[in-house]
Amino acid sequence: MTAAVDDELWSAIGDPIRRRLVDLLLAEGVGTPTSLSDRLPISRQAVTKHLAVLDRAGLVHATPMGRERRYEVDEAQLARAVRQLNEVGRTWDARLNRIKRIAEQIQHQKND
Amino acid sequence: MEFGKLEREIRIDAVPEIVFDVVSRPEHIKMWWSDDASFEPEPGAVGELVWGDRAAVEAITLVTVDPPRTFAFHWVAPGGELPGADNSLLVTFDLEPSGDGTILRVTESGWREKGWEAAVLEEAFHDHERGWDVFLPKLQGYALSVVAR
Repeated sequence: MTAAVDDELWSAIGDPIRRRLVDLLLAEGVGTPTSLSDRLPISRQAVTKHLAVLDRAGLVHATPMGRERRYEVDEAQLARAVRQLNEVGRTWDARLNRIKRIAEQIQHQKND
Repeated sequence: MEFGKLEREIRIDAVPEIVFDVVSRPEHIKMWWSDDASFEPEPGAVGELVWGDRAAVEAITLVTVDPPRTFAFHWVAPGGELPGADNSLLVTFDLEPSGDGTILRVTESGWREKGWEAAVLEEAFHDHERGWDVFLPKLQGYALSVVAR
């Protein structure tokens, strides 16, 4: 796992429009810049740019279809992004559990 | 879960005044987070969290010190910069009385990739530490066996 790839992954998913694109692709299975721009308040060109960012981060894959490209979500890479996010959550869970233990110990001493 | 913002909460059987001290005082932070912590508990104060023998050092800037309700600070800024609103993560502890205890809620928001980096750094550091925990007793055992020979 290299830092460069992870930075790309995080900035790819850090943008609300791109998250919306991933949502739409997950719900519909596949999409093209045209079909996706119909569902979003942005142009087909803008959709194409966002899809390119998602593609670079490995979150979507494109296959040529006539004059357009057909996109779908790479579920393994998406799962990896979610896993990394959960990692951050677990770190805070561990800290909170330590805070709880210390505070309860102090309270206990005060009560005695 | 919303991307870019982390939220966690826990119920603690201690009054908010005690929980506030534990989350906000350097001498307690040393027990649940970094190996060393130093800062003055006032908004705007700049301090640091230190791991190991300064193997990792993170500057923090306090934002809110409102006992026993809210404690907030910025941390994880790009190399050398002081953590502030535009370049770092914001950690906020909110405390809410609940019976004899406290509901402690933590949120961490800002650049998600920074939060992840920070977590990975900390994890890597503790892995390192655990490595020594395993290695030292072995070394001790080995040393004793050498003496016995």
